[in-house]
Amino acid sequence: MSGLDVTGVRFGYRRRPVLEGVDLSVAQGAFCALLGPNGSGKSTLTKVIARILKPAAGTVSFGGRDLLRMPRREHAKVVSYVPQSSAAPFELTVREAVMLGRTPHTGLRPSARDRSVVEAAIDRLGLGAFAVRRLSELSGGQAQRVLIARALAQEPRVLLLDEPTSALDLRYQIETLQIVRSVTREEGVTALIAIHDLDHAAHFCDQAVLLSGGRIVADGPPARAFDAAVLSDVYGLQVRVEHRGGGVEVRPAALDGASGE
Amino acid sequence: MTATTDTGAAGRPAAPAPDPAPGPGAPPRDPGALRAALLAGAAALSALAIAWCTTVGTAGVGLADVAHAVRISLFGGTVTTEFERAYGIVTDLRLPRALLAFTAGAALSVSGAVMQGLLRNPLVSPFTLGVSPAAAFGAASVILLTGGAAGSSSWPVIGGALAAALAVSAVVLGLASAKSMATATLLLLGIALTQLFEALTAALQFLADENTLQAIVRWTFGSVNDAGWQEVRVVGVVALAALPVLLWFAKDLNAVAFAGDDAARSLGVNVNALRVGLIALAVVLASVVVSFCGVIGFVGLVGPHIARLAIGADHRFLLPFSFLSGGLLLLAADTVGRTVIAPSVVPVGIVVAFVGAPVFINLIMARRAAA
Repeated sequence: MSGLDVTGVRFGYRRRPVLEGVDLSVAQGAFCALLGPNGSGKSTLTKVIARILKPAAGTVSFGGRDLLRMPRREHAKVVSYVPQSSAAPFELTVREAVMLGRTPHTGLRPSARDRSVVEAAIDRLGLGAFAVRRLSELSGGQAQRVLIARALAQEPRVLLLDEPTSALDLRYQIETLQIVRSVTREEGVTALIAIHDLDHAAHFCDQAVLLSGGRIVADGPPARAFDAAVLSDVYGLQVRVEHRGGGVEVRPAALDGASGE
Repeated sequence: MTATTDTGAAGRPAAPAPDPAPGPGAPPRDPGALRAALLAGAAALSALAIAWCTTVGTAGVGLADVAHAVRISLFGGTVTTEFERAYGIVTDLRLPRALLAFTAGAALSVSGAVMQGLLRNPLVSPFTLGVSPAAAFGAASVILLTGGAAGSSSWPVIGGALAAALAVSAVVLGLASAKSMATATLLLLGIALTQLFEALTAALQFLADENTLQAIVRWTFGSVNDAGWQEVRVVGVVALAALPVLLWFAKDLNAVAFAGDDAARSLGVNVNALRVGLIALAVVLASVVVSFCGVIGFVGLVGPHIARLAIGADHRFLLPFSFLSGGLLLLAADTVGRTVIAPSVVPVGIVVAFVGAPVFINLIMARRAAA
């Protein structure tokens, strides 16, 4: 397979296992959602693929190339990572912050190409009017966009996002997901997003992967992966899954008013 | 699995840009050119300042005399009898003093800029890991062992200070690497070792007799009073050799300072190796200066801060500018110190603390307001 392949990945903090043998394949150019309750291992899995955490066992490859064994700098040209948030202790302009994405590519000083890639990423995220603003002057949603622009300036083949929408208002959540989806469609970038909102995942993503206790319990197109019994078990909350048109919606049964036990 | 499952979102227009971008031909300016010019200007100013500070003092020596003396010592020539006195003052006293003040300030300031970037904290200094109390302890030990016979600028004392400072830094880095070089670990270890070595030095002072005690205390006043060409050579070579190495890693330092450890790793930076290597270099810079000049606080803290205000936080420009701003700061402080109550000379460490403390307090208060 020419996409992202994760096989047998295990990871634990000290003796507490977090990932217990994760196998996952994402086709090239697909947009995949990592779902699951807090502590299920979503963030940890993205960090293992981003090489922020070193797994105890298992392999991660993309297009047949072993991502865990190549030099860090080469890895950074293939995989980029958007953290949940980032607080810089120093004043930096938006343009400088996006330029950080060129770190694995650039030499001593940025080339004309580095600068044009950065400008393109700034424009793509609609940050043109803010390019010379300081990061501290931006709203939370705008700051999150800068992090995504930085990741795009890295010109990745695989884009990892660690709960990028959790702290955003509805408009920024939707726009973030639209941008990532358009990057997968237009540039064939493979995207993997750790996300809480099941309906957003169902709406924007090609593939939904449900994690529970460090294991994958469901994997497939959202309409197939979302099973009321499995979701109810994983979240410890009775839910109903409604299929509407091509889409799927998940609704806690408690909200129906018909579940009085 | 399939990548083509239509979830209803495909075919939507790409995200609308919510904020109007400026015109299509937005000028992609290169801010580097302006900063390079600023850097060149500061370098020229530094050279002028060194020459001018050499003329300041009770014995009248003009800029022309300085230029003449430098020309003779660099390219050879005969020193006429009427120029002999001015030549001696310039080449034996004032020029090495000005150059030592400048290079010591430059080394401390660059060291501070590196430490602040790596530890992602603008309030740390080259001495955060306990370098200066360790150096003071090393110097005090040698002074005590020789019964005060070794002067405060003699080679055994310098060697003792340097050995203690480097040993302590190695211990801090070794312990911190067990905790994967977490910033909080480094800061706390630095605090612990600072306390320990201050207590040890106090114990030595308690044991010492009057003369030895005086020698120990005098060592801790940072000064460039004993400046000679030997000191200038060592401090200057170390500072100038470190600068290109640091510049080579400035890009990676940017990633760690501005994006944090996790994101820097995902940007292809080997964070642990970078942190050990650059902290070791920063600590060597600070240790060498402390060993030759004693404890000069605030330059390593305020020098980078001035540079950041002038040229921005990008380390590719910040590091060389910190070199110049720190050098100028210490040179100015020493020139004030030897003129303010002339002919007495106030140690530069004391003068710079008078300037540095208010700037530092202002820095803390400004941060609080911004947070």
